Amino acid sequence: MAKPTTAEIILEHKVPINIITAQVTSKGGDYLVDIPDEALETVVNAFRKKGATVTLPKLIEIDKEKCFSCGACVSLCPVEAITVVEDKSVDFDKEKCVGSTCSACVEACPVGAIKSVKQNNSELANNTH
Amino acid sequence: MKRLVESSGVEVTFREVDVVTTGTFGAMCSSGAILNLGHSDPPIKIEKAWINDVPIYHPGAAVDLYIGATSMSERQPFEYGGGHVIEDLVSGKEVDLKATAYGTDCYPRTHVKTRLTKDDLNQFYLLNFRNCYQRYNCAVNGSDETLYTYMGKLLPRLRNATFSGAGELNPLMNDPDYETIGIGTRIFLGGTQGYVIGEGTQHDPQNRFGTIMVRGDAKQMSPDFLRGASFTRYGTTLYVGLGIPIPILNEGLVKKTAIRDEEIFTNVVDYSVPRKDRPALAKVSYKELNSGAITINDRRIKVSSLSSLKTARKIAGTLKSWITQGEFFLTGPVERLPVGSVFKPMRQTAETLFVASVMQTAVTCYANEEIRAIAERIVTRSVNHIIVVDDGDKLDGIVTSWDITRAMAEGKTALAEIMTRRVVTAKPDEPLEAASRRMAQHNISALPVIDAKRKVLGIVTAEDVSKLLGR
Repeated sequence: MAKPTTAEIILEHKVPINIITAQVTSKGGDYLVDIPDEALETVVNAFRKKGATVTLPKLIEIDKEKCFSCGACVSLCPVEAITVVEDKSVDFDKEKCVGSTCSACVEACPVGAIKSVKQNNSELANNTH
Repeated sequence: MKRLVESSGVEVTFREVDVVTTGTFGAMCSSGAILNLGHSDPPIKIEKAWINDVPIYHPGAAVDLYIGATSMSERQPFEYGGGHVIEDLVSGKEVDLKATAYGTDCYPRTHVKTRLTKDDLNQFYLLNFRNCYQRYNCAVNGSDETLYTYMGKLLPRLRNATFSGAGELNPLMNDPDYETIGIGTRIFLGGTQGYVIGEGTQHDPQNRFGTIMVRGDAKQMSPDFLRGASFTRYGTTLYVGLGIPIPILNEGLVKKTAIRDEEIFTNVVDYSVPRKDRPALAKVSYKELNSGAITINDRRIKVSSLSSLKTARKIAGTLKSWITQGEFFLTGPVERLPVGSVFKPMRQTAETLFVASVMQTAVTCYANEEIRAIAERIVTRSVNHIIVVDDGDKLDGIVTSWDITRAMAEGKTALAEIMTRRVVTAKPDEPLEAASRRMAQHNISALPVIDAKRKVLGIVTAEDVSKLLGR
């Protein structure tokens, strides 16, 4: 029977883990979670110690030189991280973006201004097991 | 201008305003550039040409070429095309030219390879045969799969919508009877001064879908207003920045240039329908489109603009400053754009084939049957596909002769265990081309044909298609 891994980590480290998406079966699950920045290393290592495979999704980055604010990306974003502001510029909210696990906007840009980029925690990202 | 008319009225505005500038920056596929390379030594009469691996058209003579915005690179198709070549040249970059020829007595050379910048060219003129659509559709996708179209990425089941056009800022929308626009009208084009040289192809003034044909010196243009672009899995194009100043010659033009987004309507069209005339699901205004979401049948759908309103405003503003600083002088048209043009469909001398006229009777079975029985049916009826139905003849699944062979090898006996339940289907009123494309995209060899209630009407196979369409 599967163990309550996530609950154990929350209790052990007293970190609020926000589950964004989850696919759970009796054999285990696939989660996309949001963790406070300060707790990143602790929580990632805790999951790995308990046998989970952890990958850090890449961030989405907009090349401001290429972008001319057409807005083609806006309607693809499922979390409304992309909006059109007062002066009709396209604005991108890093906090709301769920990164390369989604990437719905990347294909929509007619000038390839949207890319997935590695996070600064590249060491953590590479140590998967 | 719109605000002035609303606050002060037509008469006051007519006295105070001389010119209204307009602008738009959108994907304009019917665009390209004519260039003359100059002659080589020995001279060549070009037959085929490529710039940065993008096929370039040779429309005539020896060294006159036309870069079409939608032509795609042979090395990086869908990523780099004619539009990108034009942007690179305009930016001052060096490009690689390759050309071949069949050779003549007076043009003995058969191959040439060289590098060029825009300054090496004689003429380098933007020559766009359809630009500045007065307005355009709003696109949605009613099917179950994501579509990649010239209206961008459309999510299934109406999960998003896209539109294009500057709305109340669009040049033709501000002078819809073309009182001031025609052959010889000086305009803002790609960052420099250009000219309208006539109506564009597919000009449809009676339906407010007017277009213009334009020309301008690309050597003077800027990549701020001319950008190569590509729509994923659709093709490449060119974003063109265009603006037209409208002289306020009479009170009628005051009223016309006061037009607002909420007065400009367009249809929401389902692009999943593979026909020339696609169904319109609703009518929306440009105000609703620019608000970020539209409502269809009580459902809020997020909308993306494909054209840049930010850049359109910049163009109108730049044109205004050119005029006020005495750098740009308005011209009257030599001949106004026609208002009576009719936009016809293609004459077709061969009949379109539809799935219904081509489909065969489906061989069916029930899900509770044994694999052995299915194997026998495959042999006696001489088919490769058997459609699984329920007792109301509705589609349950499909099983192929390959599925059966593998099942027997693995010792399975129940059909329910091996049949495919997620079936890709066809509609009887679809063109055969659409069914053929769907089979190729999913790498399958047959489609059950079903009606709106999922009742099985027949089957169409890749074999039938290749016999009829010849591939």
